[in-house]
Amino acid sequence: MFNKDNKPEKFKDAETVIGASIKVKGNFYGQGNIVVEGQLEGNLRTDANLFIGEKAKIVANIEASDAIINGDIKGSLKIRQYLAIGPTAKIIGDISYSEISIERGAVINGQIIYVPNNGKTTRAKQSEEASSEEEGEEEKE
Amino acid sequence: MNIYIYDDYLNKPKYGRILNRVEIRLTDLGLNGKIIRLGAIKNIRDVIQNEIKSGAKTIVAVGNNQTVNKIIGSVIDNELYGFFQKNILFSIIPIGEDNSIADSLGIKKEEDACNILLARRVKKIDIGIVNNYYFLNKATIPCQGTVVEIEGQYTLEAEEKGVISVFNLKSSASDDKSLKINPIDGKLDVYIKDRSKNSTFLSVKKLKITSDKYPLLLDNIIEIKTPAEISIVSGKLNVVVGKDRSFE
Repeated sequence: MFNKDNKPEKFKDAETVIGASIKVKGNFYGQGNIVVEGQLEGNLRTDANLFIGEKAKIVANIEASDAIINGDIKGSLKIRQYLAIGPTAKIIGDISYSEISIERGAVINGQIIYVPNNGKTTRAKQSEEASSEEEGEEEKE
Repeated sequence: MNIYIYDDYLNKPKYGRILNRVEIRLTDLGLNGKIIRLGAIKNIRDVIQNEIKSGAKTIVAVGNNQTVNKIIGSVIDNELYGFFQKNILFSIIPIGEDNSIADSLGIKKEEDACNILLARRVKKIDIGIVNNYYFLNKATIPCQGTVVEIEGQYTLEAEEKGVISVFNLKSSASDDKSLKINPIDGKLDVYIKDRSKNSTFLSVKKLKITSDKYPLLLDNIIEIKTPAEISIVSGKLNVVVGKDRSFE
């Protein structure tokens, strides 16, 4: 589906690049595109997009708009738009996404929850729908 | 009025002919001014302050990176500077070696520097500050045993040998051409390259570097002991630049 070694065009001029031999510890917040090829412990958040390389090892909670994951992650993943999980990805933690693709070979151990762009979870939406149906029935009575 | 500050090393005979050519060119272009020799004065800060009070509009460092570094702190660290900042320009006439700062500003050769001074193309650039020392180009330190703390939020450590560079301004002669460094964005650019050619790049406003083994080197000339707190003074210096500068 996509080549795990090639970064999409939008990441070629990423604002932040963490190289393979770098270890980051702490809360990493950015506004632009981020590429992580090394190690990170803590929290990772960006308003834009995230690329996790094949050799990256991350122990962190992650938030981003779009994300492409090819490495190891221990922590929760909150992706507001599109999440692409590559064949070498290993994720231990819960994932929330708006759109997702998962390649054969990826390992995921955690809940995968659909969150549409309006921010409400599937469970919240279902309970809203259920309560509006009940109101409709009461009116009929 | 233009003030030309000559570094000590220009007294050597081998620079005599170059200096003559520069002085003739400046005269031809109507850019004469007052010459001050660094070796003859004890307190450069007071001298520059007096010249600004007396109406100096342009301070020109004649020499190399070391000359710039000696003068730059006195130009901006000056109680009058804030008041006169809009009108005071800084420029360089590069002579000899170690001129990466002039090169970054698009000032390649000594005689071209005179033409550039006449053209008066001005940019307001940022300056890096480390523990009360200034740098225009970059601060560097080897990776081994060095910890970089970014804005008090997270730390970076490199596991392989390499160099950590904190850029304000890129030299087109000596620095990696693919780097996008902007000296007018109010940020410092941290670039780490290891021996396996992995690179790390991020833009920050302040950082702290700690190393047990190595000092921090500013503009390839001044060594500072760590821990060193590095930050940016944004848009502080009006500098005369050439067309071939390393930024927009």
